[in-house]
Amino acid sequence: MTTNPAGGVHDAARRVVLTGFGVFSSIGVGAAEFAEGLRSGRSGAKPITVFDTEGFEHTNGCEIRGFEPERWIRNLDAAQLGRASQFSVAAARMAVQDAGLDPADLREQRGLISIGTTDGESWDLDRLVASQLAKGSAEMDRSIAGRIRAGRLSASIAQELGLTDVEAVTIPTACAAGNYAIGYGFDAVRSGEADYALCGGADAMCRKTFAGFYRLGTIAPERCQPFDIDRKGLLTGEGAGVLLLETLESALARGARIYAEVLGYGLNCDADHQVAPLESSVARCMELALENAGVKPEEVDLISAHGTGTKANDVTESRAIRSVYGTTPPRTVSVKSMLGHTMGAASALAAIACSLAITHGFIPPTINHASTDPECEIDCVPNEAVEADLRIVQNNGLAFGGNNAVVLLGRYEA
Amino acid sequence: MTGPLITDWSAVSPYGIGRAAFEEGFRSGRTTSVPLENEDWLVGERADTEACLVPGFVIKEVLGKKGTRAMDRVTGLVVTTVGRLLDTTGGPLPSEDPDEDTALVLGTTHGSHKSMVDITRDTLTDEKPYYINTAHIPNAIGNASAGMCAIWYGLKGPNATIAAGRNSGIATLNYGRRLLATGRARTVLCGAAEEYTTDRSWLEWHTRGADETGTVLGEGCAMVQLRAPAADGRGDDDALAEVLGVSSGITGPDGVAAGLETVVGNALRRAGIGREEVWAVSASAPAGEAGRQELKALDALFGDLDPLTLGRPGQIGDTGAATSAFQVVATLTAAQDSARAAGRVAVLTSVDRDGALGCALLRMR
Repeated sequence: MTTNPAGGVHDAARRVVLTGFGVFSSIGVGAAEFAEGLRSGRSGAKPITVFDTEGFEHTNGCEIRGFEPERWIRNLDAAQLGRASQFSVAAARMAVQDAGLDPADLREQRGLISIGTTDGESWDLDRLVASQLAKGSAEMDRSIAGRIRAGRLSASIAQELGLTDVEAVTIPTACAAGNYAIGYGFDAVRSGEADYALCGGADAMCRKTFAGFYRLGTIAPERCQPFDIDRKGLLTGEGAGVLLLETLESALARGARIYAEVLGYGLNCDADHQVAPLESSVARCMELALENAGVKPEEVDLISAHGTGTKANDVTESRAIRSVYGTTPPRTVSVKSMLGHTMGAASALAAIACSLAITHGFIPPTINHASTDPECEIDCVPNEAVEADLRIVQNNGLAFGGNNAVVLLGRYEA
Repeated sequence: MTGPLITDWSAVSPYGIGRAAFEEGFRSGRTTSVPLENEDWLVGERADTEACLVPGFVIKEVLGKKGTRAMDRVTGLVVTTVGRLLDTTGGPLPSEDPDEDTALVLGTTHGSHKSMVDITRDTLTDEKPYYINTAHIPNAIGNASAGMCAIWYGLKGPNATIAAGRNSGIATLNYGRRLLATGRARTVLCGAAEEYTTDRSWLEWHTRGADETGTVLGEGCAMVQLRAPAADGRGDDDALAEVLGVSSGITGPDGVAAGLETVVGNALRRAGIGREEVWAVSASAPAGEAGRQELKALDALFGDLDPLTLGRPGQIGDTGAATSAFQVVATLTAAQDSARAAGRVAVLTSVDRDGALGCALLRMR
């Protein structure tokens, strides 16, 4: 069906821009360090220490070491939050600060908080299961049991920032969740129902999901090599990306720095298989996003692929891109080669990466790349970033459950 | 401007499977709590002695054996409810006649808690930490139920899962309303689900405050069908209610009652609804202090209306994330029985232990 195009709207009250980023990733904390990591092709891969990996033969992941949530979380007791909520709350605080806002400014306005996730507080849940096995179900740690619910990833942000006139939802649509969250914020701000939105995704690495991907044969032994003929799978990662959305009118009125504009997005569902992506449906989702943004395929300068580095994803996604973009698609990169698969945070961090690429005029590389799989007929910008003048960038997010979400971002030109 | 219309609904609840069973049970007001000692399907040591269970809900008997061997309970509840709502049996194979225009929005605590912990348990008890039943892996992801429904019924429109505690059902109404307003779907199925398992019961048991003892857990799923009104208002005779607006908030330092009063006040003001138009009030009524605060707010706002007469989950237990979805269908049921409901407004509220506050305004047809 045809969606109402969002692009081409010239009314500043209905255009939605990104003015603040909060970033926790294995290659950098904060927008500046993250941009530097993307440009230099930094790898976040390292041996996993956040859970016991004994018995697994491959044990690399993209974890965040030295995370100090108390540096960012002031009003809540950081130690009482689960690790995923620590990431989401710290990233939201950072996004507000990066936007040059005081939380007090937001308290007077109507807001939306949408945070995507795959695992929620499963890192805590893993520990509860271990304790249950050791001590029995009657002996659970109450403070941990009480903080498992996924809704807390978004509600805790409101509590930390003292926001009450706010709709806070967590969107557990797995590995496309970050894009879902941005899309929901986009619709709320664009319609005027919210003055601002804090959107993104957060996940903490956990044994459950590592073991699940491992069992499916999708964990790479050492490094993630999207689109490479020798790719061996993904590395699990963690972190959070939170974006502050507001209208162009609001950003201009307060003289805010504008990273990029959200042009539109598309959502659909494969309705086909629980874990294998469906090419025709992934392609359709890109078309929906382009229609919604009022953008023609030839206007897109770069695609940030879901690009997990698994056999199934990379071939299906490349083919879907070519079915929409023809035989010379835009350059298509996977930041998962650097960050690992940060699950519910993945498309949020990738959307930030796309915006920073637009702002700073470069294309982040697909690292660990030796030889492109002939079945993945795209230019993945191997290993080295390239300078580029980017106007419109597409960010893909695909998930188990056939949940697809594609966001289009554009350069704001005054 | 007319808001989106609720044109149909279904539920799988402790009153039984389907809309008629819920209507009959809700009207009777009977309690559904059963002793757990005879529920052989519940594995492991139990925290509760009783719960409000969907009677006879054995997935392979309700949905058939094909494609259900690895299906977890919450997915079974959702697939059954959506099948009833669409009046179709669907099937485990992807539909050959898919529908791009229908969206599904499902409220949840976070999928199946049991499916998640089962995976971790396998990693800790089997010979190798990765000896996991592969068929169970997709169940451990929070969007598994919504994705499975899409497969069974060919729903290729937007497929979203929302977690906002007890407010989840109301939050899905808002998400669905926005999908319609932006032209991203023509029809939205929205609602919420919660399963009963021993794993959930233990987690809840350890979470409960001193003021929440005596809680009896329930389970089920309630879903409504939402669509935009016709431009000329014709052909909308099937509508049961109009969604006038949804407002949300987060509890601040002033507490639940003050926060909820503000949220309800915002909802009424934004929808342009006067106090005199309100026909009924439905409260989420959780156990303990949060529930008392909710009633305090409703008493201050609508003192002459008895909020306990509608949608109170007492009879079907604490259905967690499904609570406010059940409030919606209970309100629709009560409206059918009231001569005073037509054309007037129901105020549905929810409060959650994690801070979410919600209010939905429905104008009854």
